[in-house]
Amino acid sequence: MLLTEQDKEKKLISELAAQHNYQSSALIPILQAVQTQSGYGYVSQFAMQHVADLLGVHASEVYSVATFYHFINTKPKGKFIIRLSRDMPSIMKGAKTVARQLENDLGIRFGETTPDGMFTLEWTSCIGMNYQAPAMMINNEVFSNLTAQRAHLIIEDCLQEFRSHRPTIGKISDTFTNKLTYSEHKANDGLRKALEMSHSEVIGEVSDSGIRGRGGAGFPVGSKWNLAAAAKGATKYIVCNADEGEPGTFKDRIILSEYTDLVFEGMTIAAYAVGANEGVIYLRAEYTFLKHQLETTIEARRKENLLGQNILGKEGFNFDIRIRMGAGAYVCGEETALIESLEGHRGEPRNRPPYPVNTGFNNMPTVVNNVETLASICCILARGSKWFSSIGTPKSKGFKLFSVSGDCKKPGVYEWPWGITIQQLLENVGGLGAKAVQVGGYTGQLVPASHFNRVLGYEDLGIGGSIIVYGQERDMLEIAENYFEFFVDESCGQCTPCRDGNVKLLEGVRLLRQGKCSTRYLNELIDLCETIQLASKCGLGQLSPNVLIAINEYFRDEIMARPVVGQIQ
Amino acid sequence: MCNKSLSADSAGRAPLSERAHRIDVEASDAIGSTTTVNIDGVDVKVPLGTTILNAARKIGVRIPTLCHHDDLCVAGVCRMCVVHVEGFRTLQAACAYPITQPTKVNTATPAVRKARRHILDLHLANHYGECYTCKRNNNCELQSLAKEYGVDYFRFGHPKEPRYEIDHSSSSIVRDMNKCVLCRRCVRTCNDLQEVGCLTVEGRGADSQITTFADKPLASVVCINCGQCINRCPTGALSEQDQTDDVWRMLDDPSKHVVIQTAPAPRASIGECFGLEPGTPVTFQMNTALRRIGFNAVFDANYTADLTIIEEGTELIIRLYKALVNKDPSAVVPQFTSCSPGWIKYLEHFYPEMIPNLSSAKSPQQMFGALIKTYYAQKKGIDPKDIVVVALMPCAAKKFECNRPEMCDSGYKDVDFGLTARELAKMVTEAGIDLPKLPKSDFDDPFGTATGSGVIFGATGGVMEAALRTVIELVTGKKVENFYEHANIIPVRGFEGVRLAEINITEVGPVPDLIKHLVPNWDWLKGATLKVGVAHGTANARRVVEDIKAGGPFSQCHFIEFMGCPGGCLGGGGQPIPTSAAIRAKRAQAIYAEDAGYNVRKSHENPAVLKLYEEFLVDGPCGGKSHHLLHTHYTPRGKFIA
Repeated sequence: MLLTEQDKEKKLISELAAQHNYQSSALIPILQAVQTQSGYGYVSQFAMQHVADLLGVHASEVYSVATFYHFINTKPKGKFIIRLSRDMPSIMKGAKTVARQLENDLGIRFGETTPDGMFTLEWTSCIGMNYQAPAMMINNEVFSNLTAQRAHLIIEDCLQEFRSHRPTIGKISDTFTNKLTYSEHKANDGLRKALEMSHSEVIGEVSDSGIRGRGGAGFPVGSKWNLAAAAKGATKYIVCNADEGEPGTFKDRIILSEYTDLVFEGMTIAAYAVGANEGVIYLRAEYTFLKHQLETTIEARRKENLLGQNILGKEGFNFDIRIRMGAGAYVCGEETALIESLEGHRGEPRNRPPYPVNTGFNNMPTVVNNVETLASICCILARGSKWFSSIGTPKSKGFKLFSVSGDCKKPGVYEWPWGITIQQLLENVGGLGAKAVQVGGYTGQLVPASHFNRVLGYEDLGIGGSIIVYGQERDMLEIAENYFEFFVDESCGQCTPCRDGNVKLLEGVRLLRQGKCSTRYLNELIDLCETIQLASKCGLGQLSPNVLIAINEYFRDEIMARPVVGQIQ
Repeated sequence: MCNKSLSADSAGRAPLSERAHRIDVEASDAIGSTTTVNIDGVDVKVPLGTTILNAARKIGVRIPTLCHHDDLCVAGVCRMCVVHVEGFRTLQAACAYPITQPTKVNTATPAVRKARRHILDLHLANHYGECYTCKRNNNCELQSLAKEYGVDYFRFGHPKEPRYEIDHSSSSIVRDMNKCVLCRRCVRTCNDLQEVGCLTVEGRGADSQITTFADKPLASVVCINCGQCINRCPTGALSEQDQTDDVWRMLDDPSKHVVIQTAPAPRASIGECFGLEPGTPVTFQMNTALRRIGFNAVFDANYTADLTIIEEGTELIIRLYKALVNKDPSAVVPQFTSCSPGWIKYLEHFYPEMIPNLSSAKSPQQMFGALIKTYYAQKKGIDPKDIVVVALMPCAAKKFECNRPEMCDSGYKDVDFGLTARELAKMVTEAGIDLPKLPKSDFDDPFGTATGSGVIFGATGGVMEAALRTVIELVTGKKVENFYEHANIIPVRGFEGVRLAEINITEVGPVPDLIKHLVPNWDWLKGATLKVGVAHGTANARRVVEDIKAGGPFSQCHFIEFMGCPGGCLGGGGQPIPTSAAIRAKRAQAIYAEDAGYNVRKSHENPAVLKLYEEFLVDGPCGGKSHHLLHTHYTPRGKFIA
């Protein structure tokens, strides 16, 4: 039988929809599968309408969702989509030189596709490779430690591999880590201990340990579990937030790749504690190369009865985990946006209250925990809350993983107890003499050298695990411009202060760089920063102005002393 | 009587992304219980789950809003309504914050005031256009907020160039995204209130914009032209295709004989454009105004509403006779009404397989156009090519309807222009007329004043009530007042999304002369139960159609009235802005009051209609001539866009 291209596409979509039981929540995985399996590399208008028809949603809604996520294409793109990471460590290590090389080699600008349809060139937000920056993705494969010359060779290789029908395989090097507590963990010890306790004893142990969420917001884990355990719902969910998008962090990637079992063990403990029987790990699209390993681990755990029915003989404790891929949206790291994405919508944060512990995924009580939180929970259950709470400071218990990159001799993932100062941190990583340190990623705090005695811990800088070291020669306004480009790109766009405010801040930083921003206007912008912090709907907007406030406070002389561009002095 | 489980209630209407935001008032014993919120120092007791915004309204505290609309579910995106809630570091959106425990709120802290002004500054930095040239000048929420909250200059700039091309493709609706403030009220209207799914948000961050599927022009997507989005747009980003200048040109042309037909719903609402309270009928003042503007004749569209009842009612009787007596499978029941062009296009897009259920009778507007250019032209001895038919409608979709290629049965374009109530108000103002102060005057002959049945076409359930008044009398041979007090058929009235009513036909009379050639007697109806349904708003229409397809209670109906807009025509997309449930209720009151004041309240008693059958449509209702002029066919469109 002769099938037209559209018939083939239709058949593929029908099969995919049937596989997903015609659930509209499966919209994103279906679009991703159509994109890769149709052979077009994008989702056509025909495909979007057909998907909409089968899932019972409006075609316009499918279009809306598809255009929200940067890794879903609604227009034809090259066979090789090159996405060069634009995070600050990459820029500092020469990403712009690599970018020029790529543009020259391919004869196109960023955002364009070669006329032969082979390559598309794009910038992308941080891909979690900052310690071996610059780095880029070619389709789902990652290449790190790029130089102009290497970039040239990689493109040549791609073409050769394409001609000989060989897959293109990425190349990254190992990440330096110091000794991690996780390496001492005896597999599933935490889970076994937990299953010997009652649900509330497990939560009690977690509460006693004093552990707070490792994703950045620092909400006490025990309290979150308690609320979810108390909430009523026909079913409950454990969601592992593996959407590690904060520029400068890559510690979750290390945990996922080196200590995969701990993440699932932690999820299983959480499920036991709150009475959940479904788990989802939301893995960012940039980490697609880890998916296979996660799948293998889940399968192995099922075989060992560490997942499934009556886990480890515990009557009535049923729990299973599935993987859900993100699609290139930083904001989906925000828990309610993540849940929206799981439900097949645009990743737009919800109004809170109500909170996910009551009304989360599918309106059911849902615990969303970070990868590191879940891994650490295993150690807490295995070794006891006393052991954990004896580490750290009175207000910040335990150890924490930090992803260190930028101007330092030994970038990598470090485990330290809470409570070390930035100065101590810099000594450890070979970053002494820095001009400033970005703590907690772009949404964190920019700490100038004069404040290096500040402490990493909830009493002072209790934020996520991204540390970017800026050396003396770094231009604070270049840094700020890079941050705001990121926020403008990654804002979901629903609320006014974040959507429009960050654009104004970016324009303002550019004016400052050109020496064209008046003191009065700078003060207006600082005022606006406060509004964006206070009035934005979610953490992205509430934290995005931090950098401008910081450089205005600590580097005002530097930013106001620019020569005017394009004007004779 | 009414089937609430089918109704598109506000919870089910929440957008997909908002359905999870439903406030779960935990324990069942908490339902109905209250808590106290302190707003700006004043304590107010509210039911659990009340939003800060609604609590503040109770005590006269005005919190500014932009993305909030009482007809729509919560969005909480514009952040205009942020307030300080004790215990929170950040400000909270009053429209989205449910009060579930004693809470202390401050709505006017320095940070709140600054945030409001900044948010307006940011909107104005992207809002292209000058108020002077805007259709919404003086009726724009952004403009009012800028005034109320002290915007004194363009703090963050103001665009000098438009960013988007204006979409003029649709015959009904114009989209000027340069004026859009991304409040998403139109998106929520289109997706959740109407469930049409034409408008959506594309892209993200600063690149996000409101658009259609694949950013196509409005004319080539599934837009049904209902215009509900226009009614809920806070700015001038959405408006109707303005045809006032075209109409002026016709009025100014002495060779043209320009007539206007006015629908009942705008008469109950147009006063709002002149500062009158909603629900103030100005029917007869408007007649005077229209003559002063220069219309050569002013007709009552209710005349053809009455005619519609005769034609559509006859069609129903024929269908039922074929289906019940002759067992003819080609006669499809239930029969759907066809007066609402938004509903028609909705069905053509989403349920083309149900087109056989649609009555073939044209809408009153189109019937009138066809009659004016034939019957009236003959009577007056005017060449129909010199006649210009204007229709005053509460509707945006009527513009599309009169441009349908099949609507030329008179040999000319049956209706030349469809004006919305807003457009006419603009013309009246432009002509220097103070409408409320005008003397009253009546409609012109030969169509005269219509009946109360025609008037109630403007409200949901009205067509059904009018039809029932006629059918009951024709079949039983007795006055409808014997069955329903004052001929008010209350079961089909009201604002429930869908309604179901049953009428037992216990006795039958002789077949009236008008339709004697179609059915021999009424014996086949004796003891039968006539089942009718009413749905308004396409979201409710969708539920009814789905119910029919699933073999639910509505599949047992004989006749169902569908209106594309919530509330029926009185909530139409061409009505004055703003709209709310309270405003629509007042307009409904005006319409039913007008009906009660008529001497003749039944369509089949309209003398001018009866005369038409004697003089012109001599082969009777649904006869050859009436079929040619008063009936039409439909276009299966489907929802797939090429």
